[in-house]
Amino acid sequence: MSYTQGTFAALVDAIVPETPGLASRGEEHVPGGLDVSLEAAVVERTNRFLEGESRVPLATVVAALLDAAAVELLLRRRATDGLNAPAEAFSRGVFARLSRRDRLRALGLLEGEEGAFARIADRFDDAGLGVVTYLAGSLPVLVQFVYYSEATAAAGETRSLGWRQADYPGPAEGYPVGMGYEIEAFEENEYESEMRKDDAGESEDDAGGEHESGGSER
Amino acid sequence: MRERETDVVVVGAGGDGPALAWRLGQLGVDVTILEAGPFYGNERWAAPNDAPGGESSTDPGDLSGERYDEQFTAREGEMNDPVAGKLRWGPADAERSPWQRAIPQQAVITQVAGVGGTTQHYYGNHPRAFVPAIDEQPHWPIDYDQLVPYYQRLEAVHPIEPAPTTPKAAVFFEGARRAGYERTDGYNVTSEGYRPFPNAILQPDERLMGDGGERDGESAGGEGESATDEYRYPDYEGDTLAAHEHQGGPHPRGAPVRERARRSSNVSLVPRALDTGHVEIRPNAFATQVLTAGGPGPVAATGVEFRDTWAGTVERVHADAVVLAAGCIETPRLWLNSGLPDDGWVGKGLTTHWFDFVAGVFDSATTETLVGQPAVEPHQGQAAGARVDVPGAGGIAVNTFAPGLTATTMYAAGQGEWSFDRDTAGEPWDTCGRLAGRELKERMADYRRTLTLICHTDDRPRQANGVSVDESTTDEHGPVPLVEWEPHPDDDARRDDLAVRAAEILREAGATHVHRADAAPILLHMQSSMAMGKVLDAGCEAHDVDRLFVADHSALPNGVGGANPTHSGQALALRTAERMAERYFGGVDEPLGGA
Repeated sequence: MSYTQGTFAALVDAIVPETPGLASRGEEHVPGGLDVSLEAAVVERTNRFLEGESRVPLATVVAALLDAAAVELLLRRRATDGLNAPAEAFSRGVFARLSRRDRLRALGLLEGEEGAFARIADRFDDAGLGVVTYLAGSLPVLVQFVYYSEATAAAGETRSLGWRQADYPGPAEGYPVGMGYEIEAFEENEYESEMRKDDAGESEDDAGGEHESGGSER
Repeated sequence: MRERETDVVVVGAGGDGPALAWRLGQLGVDVTILEAGPFYGNERWAAPNDAPGGESSTDPGDLSGERYDEQFTAREGEMNDPVAGKLRWGPADAERSPWQRAIPQQAVITQVAGVGGTTQHYYGNHPRAFVPAIDEQPHWPIDYDQLVPYYQRLEAVHPIEPAPTTPKAAVFFEGARRAGYERTDGYNVTSEGYRPFPNAILQPDERLMGDGGERDGESAGGEGESATDEYRYPDYEGDTLAAHEHQGGPHPRGAPVRERARRSSNVSLVPRALDTGHVEIRPNAFATQVLTAGGPGPVAATGVEFRDTWAGTVERVHADAVVLAAGCIETPRLWLNSGLPDDGWVGKGLTTHWFDFVAGVFDSATTETLVGQPAVEPHQGQAAGARVDVPGAGGIAVNTFAPGLTATTMYAAGQGEWSFDRDTAGEPWDTCGRLAGRELKERMADYRRTLTLICHTDDRPRQANGVSVDESTTDEHGPVPLVEWEPHPDDDARRDDLAVRAAEILREAGATHVHRADAAPILLHMQSSMAMGKVLDAGCEAHDVDRLFVADHSALPNGVGGANPTHSGQALALRTAERMAERYFGGVDEPLGGA
């Protein structure tokens, strides 16, 4: 297990963990992301996220950022659960030693306006640094989208674990579920403008700049 | 360098460019459309993600339903994966990464490259702008009634009709009625009310329109079941209620491209444009420079330089007029990278409808009573077929997805603290924010009993929001766009109002659990970054560059009230085509908008 894969494993485990407590809803609800190698799928997509000239393996950068955010969480005394021995599938980094919820709180520092990266980006007005917030916010999106799409289905499987847990049958050609029409056709109904262009007053909407009133063409 | 000439060159074959090209083609003007992404469903690109294929398409006979069926599998990962999906903002070549944008904030951008643009994954929603957004807000230099003839033309040709009621829509309507909304029946929205969505989706076959009974999840061709030939063209025409709009909306299977039910611009307008015999579409062509003549003093656009995304070669198209239809982000980027004049509003004033999402989970007994089935079944019926209009604040609509996108929008793309750190006591929702762990898996286990609603906020244009270029980050097309958008407190208040109303509708319908996403900025509906009345005159020609027009949603002066923008963008593009013909191509004998 590499540092990168192991850090992403800790992220995946925080969002879609194994849930023995859901066995009452059916055994298919117990497994989580690590059971379908979701961390590898997310690492692969993260590495392909940006096409830069330098071709940095972005997932490694993200893993390091998660560790940096974990340190920030600890230093700012925002971690509620302290450090644990990391699970076997995880890296030995600080992020992987946090509790599941603290891992997500650390991620929140990376993407939120009050985290160190956002503040530094703001202070130096540096979009390159600011992109860290965008990347961090994209991680839960990638994790959940990939998990609940068909992408993690094994070869020969028609439905992924995520689709089965959602009880989604997969694409269909159609469904005979029409119930008629609330309206058969729309009307070209009358409308009246209370104000025309000429007497439309200024509103709070122009906070950003002067409104330049354009003349009607007619 | 290869160079050639035509009458008009259009940058972008998205939702609006083909509307303008169709109208110009009807008027006998030769048009070349440069499209950065692939051309799906076309015989000249048999494997559009694997090989360069042909060069351009001018013949409607190139359009191929067979290719469309091969390429648009309706599997959400394969189609919608933001990194590796076929419907992404990136080059046709599947081996390559998406194109880069500098986004120094938490946000999601869901634009799609390729012929049809973002309408390739749209839900066919075509409401007109809210009347007061044009006639009472201070942004538009023309009146609402000047758009109406163009709306009417599109309503006739797509066509645009009331969405059929399906169980999930019926649940929503019942909630809306109980919450006190009245039904409205008109195209022109001036007051609150609920109604079926005006959709550009062909009406379903009568055999799919039951009486409300005997529907319990029976499907045809589902992957978990034995595939059948049912619901295929030509046995079935029109919508099959398969709910795959977001995955490309390819139904009914087997139909010619132009007879697919969901009327994305590549299905509805591109064939009409090609039929005129005056329109050429060149995919895999990324515009990098607007060419100009003149200056100092007045400048005029004379053509476009572009890069072939496969070969990397650079070519030029010279023309009597240039149209930018590359969308709210790339149109200003191209403008700025071309060194054109900036009056302070280029790229600015971006509106996004400041989306939010609210979901309700229903007990089986409740949906049995309401609609005679034990679940909502979000994966059946049109993805978005019912709405509530709230002029002044925006709109609320049923918005349903396959599971991956449901998780993404409802439970992953939120801002701020995770749900487990939020106190919702006294709030209209049981949970708010992003979900993780057991809570997420429980909600997703409830997928089929969940009704998801979207809130489209009538956010207002502000100069601080929009697109510039990041000079420190360059890709093969020049400095990349820098996108910044944040809500004004007034926009937050409007969104909160809509979220409260959405929760009330779900509660009134009987939802036992309500969740609010508190979404981070999702840049899907984008408008007004090159606004008419600011950068553009009332004919959508640039104030500062002659013969340069804009015909995409960036030309809209505001967010059209929160109504889905495609109808207004296309209507304005038709009008702009006529203004162009009047100014530079010998006039229009019978303008749609009257003389």
